[in-house]
Amino acid sequence: MIDVLLPLAVVVPIVAATLPLALGLRYDRVGWPIAAVGTTAVAGIAAAIAAEVVVNGPFDHALGGFLPPVGIELVADRLSVAVLLLVAAVSVATLAFARVAGPRGNPFYSAYLLLVGGLVGMVLTGDLFNLFVFLEITGLTTYALIASDRSGASAYASLKYLVVGTVGASLYLLGVGYVFLATGTLNMLDVQAQIVAQAGYGDPLVRASYAFIVTGLALKIAIFPVHSWQPDAYQRAPDSVTTVVAALVSTTSAYALIRVTYTVFTVDFLAANEGIATALLVVSTVSIVAGSALAAMQSNLKRMFAYSSVAQFGMIGAAVALANETALLGGIVHLIGHGIMKFGLFLGIGLLALGYGSRQMSDLASAARAAPYTSGAVAVLGLGLVGIPPSIGFLGKWYIGVGAVDAGLAGGGAVGIAVAAAIFVSTLFTLSYVARLIERFYFAGAGLPGDHGEIFGDRGDDDAATDGGDAAAVGGRNESPAKTADGLPAPVEGAPRSWLVPDRVPTAPLLALGLAVLATVALGFGGFALAEWFGPFLAEVFA
Amino acid sequence: MTVPTSLLASIPPYILLAFAALAVLALPRRAGHAVAALATAFTFAQAVLLGDGGTGAHLATTFLGFDVVFFNVDQFSLLMGVVVGFLATAAVLYAYGSEAPTWVTAFALTYVATTLGTIYAGDWLTLIFFWELTAVTSTLLVWQHGGAAVRAGYRYALFHGTGGTILLAAVVVHFVNAGTFLFSETVGIHPAAAVLAAVGIGINCGFIFLHSWLPDTYPRPHVAASVFLSVFTTKTAAYVMYRAFPEGGMWLAYLGGFMAVYGAFFALLQYDPRRLLSYHIQAQLGYMLAGFGLATAVGEFAVVGGFAHLFNNVLYKSLLFMAVGVVVYRTGVEDIREMGGLWRVMPVTFLVYLVGAASITAVPGFNGFISKGMVLDSAHEVHEYVLLLDSGLLWWLLVLGGVGTFMSFIKLGYYMFFHGSATLSPDDATPFQTVGMLLAAGACVFFGVFYTQLIELMPFTDLILSDEVYFKPYSRSHLVESAALLVAGFAGFFALKRPLGWLAHRMPDVDAVLFPAAFYLGRGSVWGVTELWAAVDRATMALAGATMRTATSPRETLSRAGVDTEIRAGIGRSVLFLTLAAGVALFASLLL
Repeated sequence: MIDVLLPLAVVVPIVAATLPLALGLRYDRVGWPIAAVGTTAVAGIAAAIAAEVVVNGPFDHALGGFLPPVGIELVADRLSVAVLLLVAAVSVATLAFARVAGPRGNPFYSAYLLLVGGLVGMVLTGDLFNLFVFLEITGLTTYALIASDRSGASAYASLKYLVVGTVGASLYLLGVGYVFLATGTLNMLDVQAQIVAQAGYGDPLVRASYAFIVTGLALKIAIFPVHSWQPDAYQRAPDSVTTVVAALVSTTSAYALIRVTYTVFTVDFLAANEGIATALLVVSTVSIVAGSALAAMQSNLKRMFAYSSVAQFGMIGAAVALANETALLGGIVHLIGHGIMKFGLFLGIGLLALGYGSRQMSDLASAARAAPYTSGAVAVLGLGLVGIPPSIGFLGKWYIGVGAVDAGLAGGGAVGIAVAAAIFVSTLFTLSYVARLIERFYFAGAGLPGDHGEIFGDRGDDDAATDGGDAAAVGGRNESPAKTADGLPAPVEGAPRSWLVPDRVPTAPLLALGLAVLATVALGFGGFALAEWFGPFLAEVFA
Repeated sequence: MTVPTSLLASIPPYILLAFAALAVLALPRRAGHAVAALATAFTFAQAVLLGDGGTGAHLATTFLGFDVVFFNVDQFSLLMGVVVGFLATAAVLYAYGSEAPTWVTAFALTYVATTLGTIYAGDWLTLIFFWELTAVTSTLLVWQHGGAAVRAGYRYALFHGTGGTILLAAVVVHFVNAGTFLFSETVGIHPAAAVLAAVGIGINCGFIFLHSWLPDTYPRPHVAASVFLSVFTTKTAAYVMYRAFPEGGMWLAYLGGFMAVYGAFFALLQYDPRRLLSYHIQAQLGYMLAGFGLATAVGEFAVVGGFAHLFNNVLYKSLLFMAVGVVVYRTGVEDIREMGGLWRVMPVTFLVYLVGAASITAVPGFNGFISKGMVLDSAHEVHEYVLLLDSGLLWWLLVLGGVGTFMSFIKLGYYMFFHGSATLSPDDATPFQTVGMLLAAGACVFFGVFYTQLIELMPFTDLILSDEVYFKPYSRSHLVESAALLVAGFAGFFALKRPLGWLAHRMPDVDAVLFPAAFYLGRGSVWGVTELWAAVDRATMALAGATMRTATSPRETLSRAGVDTEIRAGIGRSVLFLTLAAGVALFASLLL
């Protein structure tokens, strides 16, 4: 009966999502406790599922007793469990931040729980159409969450995401329809078998299906050039929403890409259709370079790391398209690692914004002296993102790079080498913006000999005005940044205090940030453990 | 033999000397020098006692994964050990008598130690290790004196650092090709490394044009230090040259011949007594190399001639440096024109000088006569480029060098001990200086008279003393040859005194070009590197600054370039991109 855990993991957050609204009729501030209990329950269930997978191997559950291929099934294997644990951990940890930073109100927590339910469903489902359903749940709740601080800029960002996200999801649905036409089934494993039995890898219907699915997912993942919703969404959303969205939404979409590519269409399909694989590889490679370059141009921290995600998911896309074991392992490791690091980075930026009122790099000069722990954590995570060992960021990039070189040497020709070169260039770009961040935090600012703390660049160039006339300030960006007497960033009025550190940040989210840093570094030592953990999955798909 | 060979063979003498060097520093001056003299005497005794019965590769082990031999005793290293041990003892006594600072003696002992390490090395790895150490210790010995010795010592260090590096390269090439460092595995250095080895060792040997460190350095340090320096570096280099090229070669022989002439000629022009002697080091090395070079053309006789000359040279060259050193020590004058008439006030020094000069100029009855005769005999058998008297170019070069040697020692003796009235009236040598000098002088006379003892110490003894080889140093032809040289020398000196004096002020050696060239090359390269670095730095900073400006405000950069566009994609454009992407994906999947 252990397989009941799988539907439970999906049902608990979705059912819990109704409670804040329902109880909200009578109680004012019931949302957070319910969300906390709900996500904690999901985390517990996820842990139990993980334990079961480790002990007894992958297992599944047929929903409602309808056996697959007709019925819908939920499946847990090593890959889905890893993403599930990330989803559970991040959703619990983000709540600690949301409690202080908002947005407040019961509807927010309903949407939050619904988002968690959608993400868990995406991770666990074994059915292509069911995946679309959860994709839509995730998407719709994300649209709502982005606009949840009710500012004009976020409304615009949300609307943009809504339109393009819907088109993207439709493309995915179109692809699922094509493959259903070709095979007459929607269960992932059954589709895998039926493609071979009924259609073959060369069938135009199957190929078109894959093209639509990949394009739709690429939009959701935000790979260049269909990323354009993502920087706005990340930048304009409330900090706590950015934290959870950046860490999880694109990540689960990328998980879906891996799942669809390797479990449904299989590596043989990629081998049989080199054109598709090459196209995906080229797009991913462009995404790596373009995302990094765009990130290096930003002065708003949230926007900077949003573009950085475009580059990182380009690497994961490249790992998928390279279709060799090392690269795919790197892709999966980077998927998890990127989730953890981006969670930490956006949380850290959110904490600084909460305490010091700015997300602009120029306003945060000498932040490391005002908020040493938060700044230090952000710096370490940034270096992890660059790929400096020991960090999980290094491991992911390393495996992808080695896989790319392997593929290049094994006859993949110039493309594999180009991917490795793109990763290298991207690393340099990443280093450039992370180094700029660290320089601002640690070495710029007043009161230092050879003071170069003057504000550089035009702070208005990133302003909301360029986005459609909405000049509403987010986080007081148009006010001149307050400074203390000795030139440090001044805390905003009523900024939370921690009993633990001098930083003007709340304690609980800071601890969550610390855990993210620890995980980033600790997992960096676990190269072999990670390879072993994902070994069974890789062996299965490359069988 | 009462002392078991195995025990003797288990004590590497250089370790002992290194401890003795520490003892010199730690103990009072008298006790320290006593320990030093005992240690050097032990190395002498060890070599003598080991003798022919103690040959073999002792202390063979592996070091850094290579087979090495730390104490290789064979005929060649033994004779070097004997003479180095003997002379080092004499030099320590001399140093004690010359008020040498304890640091000088200590450095000198480490210098002797590293020299012995080089000599007793049984493989190229050990050899190059001690070779480099010798360069370091000898530089320290020069530098200790301070003053003018510092700059000269710096040049000395540059020379030997360069030479050591080249030899190191030769050793590496040798290993790559031969697969072993051991002497016993190969005959000399591998041919692929021959040029590197010749140049690397040649710097220490004072090859023409590579010799300028010799007269530059040796006149400058303490007189006692000069005695040590004059014998070990160059003679060890000659010995190593034989190790590298045991089969010799005519290039080496002719190079030796020209060195003999070149060195003797430049010696003739000098007025600083130690500088004059330094040029003679080059000339005498020429004889040794000529002997080694004839190893194949003439045979073992030439090699023995070279080694005998090496052996004798250690004795009389240091003896001359001691005698000159006494004069410098007592008078404080380093220009022979300011000396004169000293034979009356310094009779002992004068006598000792006479012995040394007679030895180096090969007067019958002194050891130089025996060994130089052997080299000349060998050269006589080479009939290339025959000039006069049915003798080849090589023989004539060596004879010419011999005449030059005569002339320059007549000059040196004439200016120091006669030459006008005595303006200085210094004391004679101190007792310990005298003891040191008498030890060396006695050996010079002993081996000149009892020359079979010299041959006994040499390799191939049986061959030389057998009937097959004509070895009669006191035959009539040799005596005539010697007398002719002597007469030519006397006549030459007094006939050419004036032109030589004129030439002495005008004739530059290679250092007139070499030193400024090296100096300006060094200064130029430092300037060039600094400026290049600065230029790279400026360019990098400019590029980084431009990139930063462009990256932080891309729109501004675009508008400056005349383009004013919206970079951001709105909703409409985003959907367009998505549609295009889907189209491209379809295209890729269906048509490719």
